[in-house]
Amino acid sequence: MPFLLALLWLCQLAIASLTISIPPSSLLPNPHVLPATTRATLTTLPAAGAGDRDPNHILTTSLTRGSTLVFRDLPAGHPESYLLDIRAGEYIFAPYRVDIAADGSVLGVWETFRGNPWDNRGAEKYVVDVAGKKSADVVIEAKVLGRRGFYEERATFSPLSLVKNPMILMAIVALALTLGMPKLMENTIPRFPLTGATTNAMTGGGFDLAGWMAGTAPSPMASAEGARDGATGRETAPGSARKRG
Amino acid sequence: MRLQAALFIAACLSPAAAIYHDEVNHIDFHHALLGAPSPDSTFFLKPSSSSNASLLYTISEKSIIGAVNPRDGSLIWRQDISRPGSSTSGAGILRGLDGNNAVVGATGGSISSWSAQDGKLIWENHFADGEVVDIELLGLEDASTTPASRDTIALTSGEGVGVVRRLDGDSGKVKWEYKDNSGDIAFQVSSSPTEVFYISLQSAMLKGYRLKVTSLDPITGRQSRHVVLNSENDITSHESIIFVGANTASPLIVWADKSLKSLKVNVIGTKQINTIAIDNTSGQEVQQITVHAPHKLNSLAHFLIHYKTETGAWAEVFHVDLKSSVVTKAYQLPYLQGQSVVAANNIDANVYFTRVTDSEAIVVSSASHGILGRWNADVSSTDRAIHAVADVVTKGKSVAVRSAILRESGDWSLIRNGQTEWTRPEALIYTVAAAWVEEEDQEDLVHELEVEGHESLIGAYIHRVKRHLRDLQHLPDWLKELPKRIVTSILTDEVSNLDSFGVAKSIIVATEKGRVYALDTGRQGTIKWSTQAETTSNWDIKAILTTPGSAEISIGDGSSVRVNSSTGEIISRSAPTNVKLQSIATFEQQVGSSVVRIGSLGIQEDGSPVAPFDDISGFLVTTSNDGRVLGWAEKDNKSPVWEFVPPAGQKVIKAVGRPSHDPVASIGKVLGDRSVLYKYLNPNLVLVTAVNEQDHTAGFYLLDGVSGKVLYSVSRAGVDPTQPIASAISENWFAYSFFGDAVGESSAKGYQLVVSELYESPIVNDRGPLDSAGNYSSLHSVHGDSLPLPHVVSQSFVIAEPISHMAVTQTRQGITTRQLLCVLPSSNAIVGIPRPVLDPRRPVDRDPTSAEAEEGLFRYAPFLDFDGKWYLTHSRDVAGIKTVLSRPTLLESTSLIFAFGGDIYGTRATPSQAFDILGKSFSKLQLVLTVVALAAGVTFLAPMARKKQVNMLWKAT
Repeated sequence: MPFLLALLWLCQLAIASLTISIPPSSLLPNPHVLPATTRATLTTLPAAGAGDRDPNHILTTSLTRGSTLVFRDLPAGHPESYLLDIRAGEYIFAPYRVDIAADGSVLGVWETFRGNPWDNRGAEKYVVDVAGKKSADVVIEAKVLGRRGFYEERATFSPLSLVKNPMILMAIVALALTLGMPKLMENTIPRFPLTGATTNAMTGGGFDLAGWMAGTAPSPMASAEGARDGATGRETAPGSARKRG
Repeated sequence: MRLQAALFIAACLSPAAAIYHDEVNHIDFHHALLGAPSPDSTFFLKPSSSSNASLLYTISEKSIIGAVNPRDGSLIWRQDISRPGSSTSGAGILRGLDGNNAVVGATGGSISSWSAQDGKLIWENHFADGEVVDIELLGLEDASTTPASRDTIALTSGEGVGVVRRLDGDSGKVKWEYKDNSGDIAFQVSSSPTEVFYISLQSAMLKGYRLKVTSLDPITGRQSRHVVLNSENDITSHESIIFVGANTASPLIVWADKSLKSLKVNVIGTKQINTIAIDNTSGQEVQQITVHAPHKLNSLAHFLIHYKTETGAWAEVFHVDLKSSVVTKAYQLPYLQGQSVVAANNIDANVYFTRVTDSEAIVVSSASHGILGRWNADVSSTDRAIHAVADVVTKGKSVAVRSAILRESGDWSLIRNGQTEWTRPEALIYTVAAAWVEEEDQEDLVHELEVEGHESLIGAYIHRVKRHLRDLQHLPDWLKELPKRIVTSILTDEVSNLDSFGVAKSIIVATEKGRVYALDTGRQGTIKWSTQAETTSNWDIKAILTTPGSAEISIGDGSSVRVNSSTGEIISRSAPTNVKLQSIATFEQQVGSSVVRIGSLGIQEDGSPVAPFDDISGFLVTTSNDGRVLGWAEKDNKSPVWEFVPPAGQKVIKAVGRPSHDPVASIGKVLGDRSVLYKYLNPNLVLVTAVNEQDHTAGFYLLDGVSGKVLYSVSRAGVDPTQPIASAISENWFAYSFFGDAVGESSAKGYQLVVSELYESPIVNDRGPLDSAGNYSSLHSVHGDSLPLPHVVSQSFVIAEPISHMAVTQTRQGITTRQLLCVLPSSNAIVGIPRPVLDPRRPVDRDPTSAEAEEGLFRYAPFLDFDGKWYLTHSRDVAGIKTVLSRPTLLESTSLIFAFGGDIYGTRATPSQAFDILGKSFSKLQLVLTVVALAAGVTFLAPMARKKQVNMLWKAT
């Protein structure tokens, strides 16, 4: 009779399994694109001393055709709390905490947070029904957290970028000034015949670029000299512009 | 959320330079390897019934199942089915069947079925009652199966019990099992269209074995009948049986008599044994007999026997009469000198044999001896072919063939119609040691420069002028090359050629199978030469020491082999000594920005040097086989100067020192307020890792190598000693990683990475006890206590995966920030974590102050997520890496990386971006266009300006 019971217990063990399905999500619309190297790992460290009894405390399984990860024959012996990691190339999955009872059945699965206390459980994914019968096959859904970008983006060549080149910009500005300014001056100056006072105001206010380029204003050096003369308080105080005007 | 924000900042701040898409395969290379294919388990197969293209499948000696594209030899998928811890006798078995979308592999006690197209798991099953000795896919169709998924017949053997099981093709569940408790040796399974045969070896009364063939009903697994063949005079072990044919219309058992004078052939299921006399006209002893038969159910019952002698080979083709089970010889392929391999395959019912010899490749039909296709082989290498599989296609009357040939060296190549299409150097998977080649010509220049440095000012000037005059002889060549170089550099999209800056280095690797290769890292890791230095399967290489022009490979028994590093020629060998070596210690000295080796010495297993090292001024730190760390001085190789014994129960598993090339650009760390923290820069640091396997603790001890003084120690609880514990030390910091279990209420469970920095004092602008001392001694000091202890700042991070090996990038001057190179075995990648991220002075639980932010520090987050840009291997699957080597180049920004142990991977790391290289983003076209645009502008404006000036002159007057 004990033998039969043990056999029954063994049979029960053999069918306890944990299935992780990968549902389509916004980050991973088609789970079939996951690489064949995708693996799920259950990791723990048996309590000191117990490790010798059960060296198989790291379980690994590969991705199946149906985008699931199945752990069969969960180890029995003593209760363990496993860290479930799913590693799939560029996709990052949330780690889970999987508690397994001494008979190898799953007690509960919770989301966990790396770098947080192990007792700090997140969203509950599965928990054993205390009152009812234990279900042998537990199915939970994996959660994709993000995607790694492995590559640096290179700026593509475009004519616009050529225009943005400082050298080209300088050339364009210089071209615009040399071509456009004289025209502008020719159009503006005769239309408003300037009185002596206004020209004086213009030159006094600073360097008159437009005037200088059109050949009507003195060179900046000349006006600077004039200003200095004024500062020294010589009698030739009125500006050269007025004299000319 | 805050954590994510911190991570985002981390990603922004990290100066890591990820690889660009267009640089893939240019700056990096990857040999994705499987290992030598297992001859019985290599085949061409159409992965899906819809497509006509077939792939090449194999299981290697390393128990890796792989699918290779026969067009270019690239790996489509691979799965390592070896189980850690379980010792398997053979490589494993792989079976596939055309029209089935799965390949089924077995190793040890487990069987797994993989989708042939993409390598995803279909099912796996594990049997505790023994090892799987044979699997067969059932070709027959019955009502219970769908054509796309064939059931598997598996035979397990353990402790005198053989079990035949039929496993469902979709789920792997056992449909029926047949147990043989008779104590016979379970040998193989085979099947015919109507029956499943279980073949076992029954020990005869006196000696030898009788073959017992048990027929099983494929639907129920019940035994229908059994036949015992009287073979005890010929068969002494299961190696005597040459062939058990599978899945042909008439499956065969072939064995030879002891003197190799005749062959016995039995059609499985009948009692009749046909005897074929071996018609040996070559005059040499037959060394190897192989049988090639088609594997498809509906193919003709023809087969070929290939006889190999010392120098040549011939083959005979036989037909089986299905009614009478009589075997008759049809024709013979002539005896030819040299190597010869044969492969069989079939198209519908027709069977074709492909024979590849030194001079040619031919295809014959099994029905008649007429040669359907003949091609001259383009290579007749000295490398003997061991095995071949072929894929014949017929178009009208002409045939084409491609055959994948495995050679003795471990090269696996595909020959299409006599042309070698590709070669996969599968033997590189056994690489155990590697070393960079020192080039001779560069050494000359270094020597000349040294001469100049030592001469008087005028003497050096004259020497230099002479040297430059001598260099002028290269000028005409250079001028000739110049136009070509200019044109190609503008036209091609190539990054500027950096080979002359030391980024194209050769590397010598040696495998445990006794083969030595030289790989060119500048040309996608192509093999420059390879040579068989030793015929062994377990070459105990301790080190490869390179000198300009040659490389010396040191073996554990004290012997060594010296090879020419540019040709691979073996220059000399030294005889083994009677001391068994544990490792080779090298004495290296940093001279300028290069490292010079001044000597090397063997270390015995108990940690003592084999000889005193009088002529070298230095010290040695060794680990002994009883878990201690020993320090040695020059004159004494009997008793160590100091000895480090870890606490009771702990065992030293690893000791690392600073790399021999570890230049320090700055002796202090400048903080945000312009004050300085002085780095604790001791060149003699040793980081020792010790574990206690009983109570799961690990101790990390920082020792001074000269005095043996413990400078710093830390103990961690809840460390898994069976998982990898990696460590590295460089400059004034060290790092280690391990799996840490939750030991207390608030502790986390997961992999941890700890980084510690050493400073001379905790106070800024203060050197602590050293004060203004220029030198200090490990042994004597004015302060009484010899060596001042460092101020250690540490931070731990939780990481998502284990690290199996650590290294640090090396650059010429050490100005570039370093990266901590970590091998991630569970995601088959190598990641380079930038040091600024691993700064233990990152502020905890608060945002950085402006001074800290200026320093580049950002808020500490306990979880360190590896950014995708840190992955040196980007999206590649680089499996099985055991060691990573780094080497500086002449460019300060760039460090060469080479990884080996399983795959071979090489790349260039630029931890602070390629600041001294014009990369691909530098558009030469844009530069040229800008110049052209400016020139056009000038030519356009010049006449206008002139006109204007003239006009002005006229107007002024």
